[in-house]
Amino acid sequence: MRTTVAPAPLFQRANRLLLAAALLILLGYFIIYGVYAVNLMLFPFDYDQGEGFELVDTVMFSRGEWPYQDTEIYPFYSSNYPPLFHVMAAPFVWVFGPAYWYGRLLGFLGTLVTAGAIALAVHREGQHRWIAVLSGLAFLASNTVYHIGPLFRQHMTMVMFETLAVVVLAGVNEISDTRQRRRVLALGLGLILAAGYTKQLAYTTAIAALLFLFIRQPRRAVVWGLGFGLVGVAVFLAIDQATSGQWWLQTITANINEFRPDQTVGLFRLWFGLHGFLLIPAALMVVYELYFARLSVYSLWFVMATANSILSGKWGAGDSYFATAIAAMCILSGIFASRTLNASWHFPQNYLSRWMVNPLRRFAPQMAAAGLVIIPLIYLGYGRAVLHIPTEGAVFSDIAGALNIQGNAYGGRFYDSAGRIAGGYADIGHLTTAEDIAAGWSIVERVRATDKPVLSEEAAFNLLAGKDVITNPTQLLNLANNGLYDGAALIHMIENQEFGLVIFRGQLYPVPVLIAVTTYYEQTDTVRMNGFNYMILEPRAQ
Amino acid sequence: MLNEHFTLTKRHLGLLLFIGGVMGFWGILAIDLLDAGREGGIGPAQQIALGLMATAALIGLTLIPLGNHPA
Repeated sequence: MRTTVAPAPLFQRANRLLLAAALLILLGYFIIYGVYAVNLMLFPFDYDQGEGFELVDTVMFSRGEWPYQDTEIYPFYSSNYPPLFHVMAAPFVWVFGPAYWYGRLLGFLGTLVTAGAIALAVHREGQHRWIAVLSGLAFLASNTVYHIGPLFRQHMTMVMFETLAVVVLAGVNEISDTRQRRRVLALGLGLILAAGYTKQLAYTTAIAALLFLFIRQPRRAVVWGLGFGLVGVAVFLAIDQATSGQWWLQTITANINEFRPDQTVGLFRLWFGLHGFLLIPAALMVVYELYFARLSVYSLWFVMATANSILSGKWGAGDSYFATAIAAMCILSGIFASRTLNASWHFPQNYLSRWMVNPLRRFAPQMAAAGLVIIPLIYLGYGRAVLHIPTEGAVFSDIAGALNIQGNAYGGRFYDSAGRIAGGYADIGHLTTAEDIAAGWSIVERVRATDKPVLSEEAAFNLLAGKDVITNPTQLLNLANNGLYDGAALIHMIENQEFGLVIFRGQLYPVPVLIAVTTYYEQTDTVRMNGFNYMILEPRAQ
Repeated sequence: MLNEHFTLTKRHLGLLLFIGGVMGFWGILAIDLLDAGREGGIGPAQQIALGLMATAALIGLTLIPLGNHPA
């Protein structure tokens, strides 16, 4: 039975007005996001810890080298990330040399593509243009997406491939033409492989997609799943062979990190606090499909991605692990909203509909009218919950002042409704300044001034000074935490004071390396850049 | 099952979730029973996994009465 009603014109007008208000607010976030992205593209140093090492990976790929190296041999460098994002950025190195802007541009464009795919999926399923646009903008308005979208990081490119894959696969079982269906299946599964070789975390999207195919037609899932697995394993083995086993060691073995349950719990609470307005309709959509319709790939993807977010409690993980679930949430909540506004819910008769739905059918006209107001209010509520805005700069300081918003991060440079309650939440979002850039160049000058190599926790200083990048501290720590790092050669160089300078930011090296540095080097200066204190250490007098 | 026209029903899905949830639940508990030398009992990660397995089994039970509707 369908619920069809003709709501009063008053509700229709209220609906349009409130939808327009929600659209204005989410467009405002989109403008802030664009300004933030451009600001970061103009910043020539690390904004988020570790971006520079992704640039090093890109530079190595541009030279035809693998970044999966033996960390016991000079320059002690290795990477724990799959190659695709860096391979995509490598052509930029040939033209522009090592720089951050193109990696940040790729990340930013990836989020726009993801938002477009979300809007497309919602429009295809729900046939409501306003809601489709709001769903895409809601993704970009998420605090998590804002933080990491325009960084030189592979995560959001993985989310882009994942989203494209599920949007492509969503209707594959309904394609009657065999050749076309096979082409769509190959494209969808190929996009999942691309996601997996951008970042390992995409394995849950692969599981969700194969589960979806299995539920709809087990035979197809088995045949295509086998082919998918064979291709994935063949690529994996080929890279492992080409890197003499370093690929397996650096990207798999070294990635098993300590799990902190309190961090997971904190991040889940934060995730709900920020996205609850859209999470509830998304969860209701899953329940609806489970009991009253067929399970879509979007529901399975949402459930798998949410479950996978438990891994956000790992050392080195954080709120970025929720980005895939946020994309799925935007699609499902958009479909829920569209169906409510179009009054196109369908509840077949079963024990649950007889118990829970049938008694409410006589209120269908009133509920449909209420939905016209509630749905835009949900997007307005979401817009308030994810409030984030820089509080300095010509325009933003005026807006923040007019709205009486006080910065709560970076000494009043940025307001984030998330606050800082959960470990692992990205402590970024502010705009960089000319002073930050000048401070960075002053460190580069210090690196240039020594004729010895420099051990720096940020790769950009060495790259811009034309020196070797020595080590990737977090990867050394990953290896050390798994008992896979010796470090004798690096420590020997430190003991012999073979480095002209050591530059610390987060002191994320393994403990024996930190002890050697503080024994043989002394801090001579501190440079504050982008909210962080960069410690400059020089050799102690012997 | 490998017929081109076969599709899983709500009952199939319910049974799979119920059996998988129950087996997973006892399997996670068995980690402690079989590995008697372990200290600290059921850890936080195990507790999360136990919760997920129990939830899957319960959802499975509620799906079984929905019969032959396609999943």
